[in-house]
Amino acid sequence: MLKTISLTVNGKPCSGEVEPRTLLAHFLRDTLRLTGTHLGCVVGRCGACTVMWNGTPVKSCMVFAVQASGDEIITVEGLAGDKRLHPLQEAFWKNDAVECGYCTPGMLMSAYGLLQKVNHPTEEQIKKAISGNLCRCTGYRNIVAAIKETADNFKR
Amino acid sequence: MEFPINPPIGDRVKRKETLRFVTGTGRYVDDLLPPGTLHAAFVRSSCAHGRIKSIDVEAARSMPGVHAIFTGKDIAAVLKPLRIGGSSRVRQVKLYPLAVDKVRYFGEPLAVVVADTRYLAEDAIEEVTVDYEMLPAVIDPELALQPGAASVHEEIGSNLVYEYHFATEGIEKIFQEADCVIKERIRSHRITACPIEPRAYLAHYDPQEESLTMWSATANPHSLRTRIADILSLPEGKVRVIAPDVGGSFGVKIQTYQEELLLPYLSAKLERPVKWCETRVEHLRNGRHGRDQIHYIEMALKKDGTMLGIRDKIIADMGSTYTVDHSIMASALYVPGVYQIQNYAVDALGVSTNKTTHGSLRGIGKADASYILERLVDIAARELKLDPVEIRMKNFIPAEAFPYRNATGALYDSGQYHLCLKRVLEMADYEQLRKEQKELRRQGIYRGIGVALVMEPTSSSRIHATGGYASCRMRIEPSGAATVFSSMGEQGQGHETTIAQIVASQTGIPFDKIQVIHGDTLPTPYGFGTGSSRSSVVLMPSAWVAAKKMRDKLLGIAARNLNVVPEKLDIANGKVFAKEDGSRAVEIMEIVRTAYGAIHLLPENMEPGLETTGYFVNPNIDYTPDDKGRMNTFSSYPYAAIVAVVDVDIETGFVKIVRYCTVHDCGNMINPQIVDTQQQGSIVQGIGAALFEELRYDEEGQLLTSTFMDYRLPSVEEVPEIVLDHIITPNPFTPLGAKGAGETGMLGPPPVLCNAVEDALSPLGVKIRETPLSPERILDLIEKGNAPKPTHA
Repeated sequence: MLKTISLTVNGKPCSGEVEPRTLLAHFLRDTLRLTGTHLGCVVGRCGACTVMWNGTPVKSCMVFAVQASGDEIITVEGLAGDKRLHPLQEAFWKNDAVECGYCTPGMLMSAYGLLQKVNHPTEEQIKKAISGNLCRCTGYRNIVAAIKETADNFKR
Repeated sequence: MEFPINPPIGDRVKRKETLRFVTGTGRYVDDLLPPGTLHAAFVRSSCAHGRIKSIDVEAARSMPGVHAIFTGKDIAAVLKPLRIGGSSRVRQVKLYPLAVDKVRYFGEPLAVVVADTRYLAEDAIEEVTVDYEMLPAVIDPELALQPGAASVHEEIGSNLVYEYHFATEGIEKIFQEADCVIKERIRSHRITACPIEPRAYLAHYDPQEESLTMWSATANPHSLRTRIADILSLPEGKVRVIAPDVGGSFGVKIQTYQEELLLPYLSAKLERPVKWCETRVEHLRNGRHGRDQIHYIEMALKKDGTMLGIRDKIIADMGSTYTVDHSIMASALYVPGVYQIQNYAVDALGVSTNKTTHGSLRGIGKADASYILERLVDIAARELKLDPVEIRMKNFIPAEAFPYRNATGALYDSGQYHLCLKRVLEMADYEQLRKEQKELRRQGIYRGIGVALVMEPTSSSRIHATGGYASCRMRIEPSGAATVFSSMGEQGQGHETTIAQIVASQTGIPFDKIQVIHGDTLPTPYGFGTGSSRSSVVLMPSAWVAAKKMRDKLLGIAARNLNVVPEKLDIANGKVFAKEDGSRAVEIMEIVRTAYGAIHLLPENMEPGLETTGYFVNPNIDYTPDDKGRMNTFSSYPYAAIVAVVDVDIETGFVKIVRYCTVHDCGNMINPQIVDTQQQGSIVQGIGAALFEELRYDEEGQLLTSTFMDYRLPSVEEVPEIVLDHIITPNPFTPLGAKGAGETGMLGPPPVLCNAVEDALSPLGVKIRETPLSPERILDLIEKGNAPKPTHA
């Protein structure tokens, strides 16, 4: 019982066949082969699969692909411009906010979602925004610093 | 040894690998999907201990998309048993990739389905029915040793699967004559590593070439290759293991797993690529578990706090299909820790139970030892009415005593424990903290101050086990760029960066022109897994050796060209030049062209090309014990001193970490930024272990904590302010002066937070002997108030 869905991913129209039970995360990874979105628990607790869904960060393991039909998705692959890193990516690099890299795409998308809505987030707001994203390597400090630095640069 | 730490060694260089991770272009096993890939799913035991009476796979076999189903019996008929790891002290049992007659832990794989998609494979395993004859579950390791306990492995006849006994002479007399003996039972609870990427494997057998490529989220590719070759009866040259980007390991991916050795067979049999990616539930149930030791420990002291000796009995829960004894061995060897204690006895018992296999986990064994010791020292200080700082300062091994041989023969490379603790006390303003504590107590606030100094033996080497050496091969390519082939894979450690820093420093090849290849057994030289924090102790020195040979070769070619002896030459700015006359110089590119294309200009007897291999042998290691049974199996000894401040809410039992101050010493740092980040993460993992994380089994052996809902990793909101600094005491046994750096952070929180919480609740008579420090436990302890007092000799 396959269903064809069409949606916009990283600004480009895409379509594919899915089962009703196919998770958005699996559709992005297996059908569209956008493998930057990672899976760490598939029960919505680790946040590695976070993507933007119509302007809001969501855990794509908690969304069926059919639910996103006709909608707009941004994944980590959509952050960088034409050969230019997004300021968040630059800041994660500069602040050494990455070790194994597995949680990084989800972490970036949660941070991106925050900065879309709040120009000058406080440290508390930053922590709340990434509280659903688990990182086992870095201890988070450099991640918070990277997001803060990006937000501070927005002010100018 | 000299420490030629020239830039960019020692610089906070931005990591090379980070670029692909921030753009989502890292490549992990689950990202690979060769055409025709089939997907595996495992039928797992629903009980902890039972005989398999029958498995009905017929319904599943006819499910859509299912290609094959194999049970344990099918596999045992075609494959050899697995090779079990560990030393000769471990009692060996016969094990296959799938359980054959009997299941021994909840979640043990007993059949596998291979189907077109992972959804269909998971549908099919639901249709497999297994009939068990239930057996009594062996859960408590102490009860497991009682006569009449059910046997996890009947062929062994007992659940005691490992024993080690050691005693220095005259230990009884020391205890008889001591002013005071502190006796405790302390347990380190069961936890696991939980990298965010679970395990993932993809086996691709090529029937035309009769060769196999295995992509594995492993931290130990070369060792895995040998095991796969063995199980498929292929020569190693026909097996290639590739660990692409690996999303964290923390020890859990260094061992070889049942599923990992089955996939190559499935791919060979079905002649299709076969992939399996573990779910988080499977990871918590089946990934190696760590810690879980009970120590009956006693310390003999003089009234003034001088430590005289330690006696310990360790009961280690090794789970069902135990594979290594590093954990219990490391604990047994390092209980005397950082103190001048030359009288020591230990009886270490490894026990088999119906729990998941015990294995490597960041800080394996050493974390248990330092936790138990640092708790015991605090308990002794309280009993003798000494400040926890005073008792430590009184007994630390002094800086001038290094290299220091401890009671078990371990040879500590270097250290300045007194200085390290002094620094952290200054950083935290310990005097002021104690004053504030008095004031807060008057206000009814239960503030506690914990002190600890934890030491982490790193870079272990044991015969036929891991880490005797590491190697790097390097080539300066005809273009002038360099490629380095590392024998060890990486799972977030940043080797691509640190190796390039070392090579750039030695050869003058710009950092940006150096590429590091790792994790692929085809191009890389042989080496052991990334564990025991050995990268900085053996791998980086091996890169240094390879680069030094390359430097010598470049200087040799330049020497003939310039007619200056190599000793009078140096490298900078893309040139080799005479130190005394910089105008006498030759471009490195010119040397490269000579080495490849104008070999008549090479010095006599020099081989063409620019390729070198460096091996570095783990220094400071004993492979056999002396006549007293003493030996050193780790080669470097980093450590950290910590002061932690907590507030305990006695209404809710909630522990709030107000501040965590630490001073760390891992010798020279190749990239201090990488060390800092790793320490932060390591500390937070330790906070998780101390406060939140616990693998809990019920009496039937069901794991009660098998999702992230009930096995709680620290999120950003649980992370306190961590103040981190370093002192540097170089490791005298390696050319870079570096010690291991990955694990010390994790050792700190369990003892220091227990010490702090016990300090906070001391007015209520609370004694902490079990962890984690969950609110329920704290409330329970407050209610109980008075645990048994230590006994006096």
